[in-house]
Amino acid sequence: MASENNPALRLTNISKRFGDVVALEKLTFDVRQGGFFVLFGPSSVGKTTTLRAICGLETVDSGSIEIDGKDATLAPIRDRGVAMVFQSFALYPHLTLSENFAYPLREAGVSTNEIKKRVGETVEMLRLSHRLDNKPATLSGGEQQRVALGRALIRHPKILLLDEPLTNLDAKLRHDMRAELKRLHRQLGMTIVFATPDELEALSMGEDIAVMETGHVVQQGTPDELYERPRNLYVAAKIGSPHMNLLEAKAQPDNKGLDTPFGPLVVHHRDLPADEPLIMGIRPTDIKIAKNGEPHILTKVRLIEPLGDLTIVSFNAGGSHLRIVLSEADAIGIQPGQDLGVVIAPEYVHLFRKADGVAIANAA
Amino acid sequence: MTSNSPSSGDKLLTLRWDNWLLALLAGIIAVPIATLLLPGFLAVVVAGIFIALVVITAIVNAWSRHIGGLLVAPAIAVLVVMNIFPLLWSLGLSFYSYRADRQTLRFLGTRNYERLITDPVVWDRLTTTAYLVVLTVAVQMVIGFLLALLFSKQFPLRRYLLILVLTPMMLSYVAVGAFFRYYYDPTFGLVSQIANLFTTEPFVLISSTAGAFAAIVIADAWMWAPFVMLLVLAGLVSVPKHLYEAASVDRVPGWRRFWWITFPYVKGLLLLALLFRTIEAFKLFDVVFILTDGGQSTETIALYVYRQAIQFNKTSYSSSLSYILLFTVIVLTNLYLYLANRRSKEA
Repeated sequence: MASENNPALRLTNISKRFGDVVALEKLTFDVRQGGFFVLFGPSSVGKTTTLRAICGLETVDSGSIEIDGKDATLAPIRDRGVAMVFQSFALYPHLTLSENFAYPLREAGVSTNEIKKRVGETVEMLRLSHRLDNKPATLSGGEQQRVALGRALIRHPKILLLDEPLTNLDAKLRHDMRAELKRLHRQLGMTIVFATPDELEALSMGEDIAVMETGHVVQQGTPDELYERPRNLYVAAKIGSPHMNLLEAKAQPDNKGLDTPFGPLVVHHRDLPADEPLIMGIRPTDIKIAKNGEPHILTKVRLIEPLGDLTIVSFNAGGSHLRIVLSEADAIGIQPGQDLGVVIAPEYVHLFRKADGVAIANAA
Repeated sequence: MTSNSPSSGDKLLTLRWDNWLLALLAGIIAVPIATLLLPGFLAVVVAGIFIALVVITAIVNAWSRHIGGLLVAPAIAVLVVMNIFPLLWSLGLSFYSYRADRQTLRFLGTRNYERLITDPVVWDRLTTTAYLVVLTVAVQMVIGFLLALLFSKQFPLRRYLLILVLTPMMLSYVAVGAFFRYYYDPTFGLVSQIANLFTTEPFVLISSTAGAFAAIVIADAWMWAPFVMLLVLAGLVSVPKHLYEAASVDRVPGWRRFWWITFPYVKGLLLLALLFRTIEAFKLFDVVFILTDGGQSTETIALYVYRQAIQFNKTSYSSSLSYILLFTVIVLTNLYLYLANRRSKEA
């Protein structure tokens, strides 16, 4: 098999414990060559441990790590060709910016001319040329972030690991850096593994996202796949903002539809398990206001949250709370306490078994 | 008060109990005049009165401005009685010819200092001190550093060993001196006992100059290496762990990591330890006094001062020598601080 066809990185059944605490449990995923791969999950699901295992800072208890088709489970750090940007940036505080860049190269035995050339390229790319002689402490958060990134990139690693690199930045900078990272990825074409607890970051940057839950991957897929076909309740609840509305429901005996808190609802799902409690999920964007004369569900508006061009409207329907997202124009005139008719399109309904959260395929 | 201008209204010149600046000014003017006009003993009394006046007015001033003045007064009083007054008094004495066993006092101006600087014995003692300072501080720094490296790792019994290693620092100089005197004792000392395993000749460490120096350096280093260790250890544990991880991902080999990451964190504290230990070693007295009593040309400058002052009663002469020492230490300190500040500005 040609090496181009190998995944850049393949983790198989990785397990890792710290004492009694299970950090990783049969973690498995592939990262394709040149991909922008996102490890997504809330804190303490093992994202950082995964990255540390990939770059060799942690040894795994079992399982295998392949880099470029070659087994690297026990390879020393220096042979892995992996660079990592730490959440805390970990810049060398007593070296100037250009020394921070040059230092890893000098240690790797790169010639002085080459170092000069690469430092030049890197500061150009990251727009840091005016700061070359400053110490890290005098740089702003965004600049430190770019230095940390540059120090990793300058080695031309095969794989770049980013551990929540944007978490320490303010909202505006985070937005800029997201664009910056995507641009760099396109420009340099290296494989990136990016860990983040922020779903917006995950969805906007990742070509391929692995959703993690307590040490293993629940679902891996493109942002659209995760959004449209969440494999279970966990993924459904994590992906999408505002979060998916989740309601208890039950299949009707004739297998035609659902009993929901606000009345019967026809859905496209086949083989609905009868006599089993279900969870119905519906995205806030998939609930529409009923047009005149259309059959609708009657609800009472509770709360209105204007977000500029979008407005989130919360309402009561048959004893449960639901949220919908409306464009600003559609939301004009809606008042708290008002009655509102809404329509749920059956093709957008997600169904999960309540017992284990596993999704039931939508036929639509 | 002797100098008092009739033109009042000016704050500095108002005659009040809290006007310590005026008292100081008056003292600065009056004391030299008294020195020139009055017989020696009376001049000293005048100087003493002015020093007391400055202190009293300063306390009254502090008291009138903050209630806290009285609260710190006991501490200030102790400080004045034990430190400030003797310091000023001996500064005054250093310009006179005075012996503690005689009540005669004669103004000499700077003649004491002139004599000191040209005295070959003083230079010899200073050289001895310099050797001891360099040797003992170097040994302490190296051993302290190595100990700190050891104790920055985790190993069984580390906590108890740490306490044990820190004990010498808490002992009194005299106790340490006595310990080592017994170690080095020619007949039953531990060192000679061990030496006797290899040679039948009696082993007297302190019988040669080199041996005596070694004896002093070992004792002093034993006592103060833990101090260096403590400071360096503080530096070692302050290095963020993620820097080491970043370095290992950056493929930096272990010893280079030490030089580039650990050392910059320890540097400042190492300099501090060097400063403290140099100043202290400069005053090296107790251990030398007990171990060799200045024999085998190990008499340090501090021991020399002691001898001049206490044994030969050359009070004013030793005062001026003490001031030369104080001046030297202040110069050394400022040199270090200047270097340290320049370094930290670079960092």
